[in-house]
Amino acid sequence: MKVSNYLKDKMYIFIIYGFSYLVIMLMLMAFKADSYLIIGITTILFLSLLTILLIDYFRKVNFYNNLFLNIERLDKAYLVLETLNEPHFYEGNLLYRAMYDVNKSMSENINNIQEHLNDFKDYIEMWIHEVKIPLSSLMLSLNNNKKLIKQLKRIDDCVLQVLYYARSENAYKDYLIKEVDIQKVIKNVSLKYMDDLLSQKIDFSVSNNAGKVLTDSKWLEFILGQIISNSIQYKRDTDSLVKISTSEDDEKTVLTVWDNGIGISKSDIKYVFDKSFTGENGRIKNKSTGMGLNICKNMCEKLGHEISIESEKGKYTKVKITFAKNKYYDVVK
Amino acid sequence: MKKIMIVEDDREVREEMRSLLENSGYEALVVENFENCLDTIIASNSDLVLLDINIPYLNGEELLKQLRKESSVPVIMVTSKVSETDEALSISYGADDYITKPYNPNILLLRIGAVLKRYNGDLNLLTYRDLKINISKGLIEKEDKKIILTKNEMIIFCYLLNHQNTIVTRDELMTDLWNNDEFINDNALTVNISRLRSKLKSVGYSDAIETRKGQGYILL
Repeated sequence: MKVSNYLKDKMYIFIIYGFSYLVIMLMLMAFKADSYLIIGITTILFLSLLTILLIDYFRKVNFYNNLFLNIERLDKAYLVLETLNEPHFYEGNLLYRAMYDVNKSMSENINNIQEHLNDFKDYIEMWIHEVKIPLSSLMLSLNNNKKLIKQLKRIDDCVLQVLYYARSENAYKDYLIKEVDIQKVIKNVSLKYMDDLLSQKIDFSVSNNAGKVLTDSKWLEFILGQIISNSIQYKRDTDSLVKISTSEDDEKTVLTVWDNGIGISKSDIKYVFDKSFTGENGRIKNKSTGMGLNICKNMCEKLGHEISIESEKGKYTKVKITFAKNKYYDVVK
Repeated sequence: MKKIMIVEDDREVREEMRSLLENSGYEALVVENFENCLDTIIASNSDLVLLDINIPYLNGEELLKQLRKESSVPVIMVTSKVSETDEALSISYGADDYITKPYNPNILLLRIGAVLKRYNGDLNLLTYRDLKINISKGLIEKEDKKIILTKNEMIIFCYLLNHQNTIVTRDELMTDLWNNDEFINDNALTVNISRLRSKLKSVGYSDAIETRKGQGYILL
């Protein structure tokens, strides 16, 4: 609350007061009043105006200043009402009550949406478990039909992507962080994509120099799977390579997936983690939802890992996942 | 023959699993009445149990908990639940492995083989005719003649040996190699097999591994 703005707001009082004062003076002079009386009345009028304004200003200044300060300080500004005392002046009181009602209706609204979202997510989880039963049955009965198995795996990939999208977008904690052997994660994902890698004649190599990382192994398997699946999809036509490597120092562990595929153009690379971004490559290959890397990014953020991408068109693409080491965890252990 | 109990409530999946296991040389039993699931498992005296989590009456995790009070039979959880929490919970209740649906049949068989092997502890004592195989040293020995096998050759040879007299597909060999962190390609597999053959030839078994066109290999 600025003093100058406050005074500007009270301009009408000054005008009415000044006008009344002038009329009184003229009347007093018309009645040839004593000059002491004039001075006395002037002083009383002036002091009373000052007192009224001061009292009014100080009754309001605390409430409004706190209001704006707390809004700025809070990262969830809508909770500001909880931090304030109910003001003792009438207008403030009205404002406070109005804000309270608005807040309440908004929270109810948000709760409804949240509930709805949770129901939807539960339904998706249930649906996925349901759809996996016929998928397993098919996978078992198609033992040697590579063509059909390949299509089944594509369906399974899509289904998993939905599952992890639902999990990564939700505010609830759906992951469990523990010590995970990174080699085991790499192996599981490699086995999953083995048929694709071999049938597409991609040379695949792993050089693992790291031990354990703190993560959720299921989530990490999905993330790594998405990255490898991209490497397979955007491979070059001949002599294609995919290399996975890891390195470890005191501060962090880094998992790198490198491929010599078609790469990503400079204009596209900033957007690859954005939702529904397909870019040039997606248009060429014509089967991209543009969601894979976005989900990976969200999942990494939740798990506390850092994911970054580097590429040169026509040469290579390199995706790095960085796991920070938790000193506290070591101490507790 | 090893007996494997399948606890799975979806009939189609159960039957597919049964025929997969039977084709791979196991005796497969199934639970059809889930009310007395626990008693059926214990009475069957199986060598291994494949257990689904979403089953009627008692769920898989509870069933496992109760089973562990009475038996230490190896258990592999086979489930459509993809979550670390479920896996951690199952392992803490005493499961030996955890596989999520839908799975590659080769991988399921590999995991079953691995768990059974761990329980029987016959890791280092393999023989083929009069050859002794020392896995940890990477050697095959005939009388006082020793031949060194590379890691890949040893993995292939052991796999063939564990499935002696049955046809082994290239896919199965590849899966086993990748499962042992040897991420080789098709050419390398061919090269490894021909090297293994020539090494076996040098100890007098030139006809040990036969190629069955379009199907795979067989160790006789």
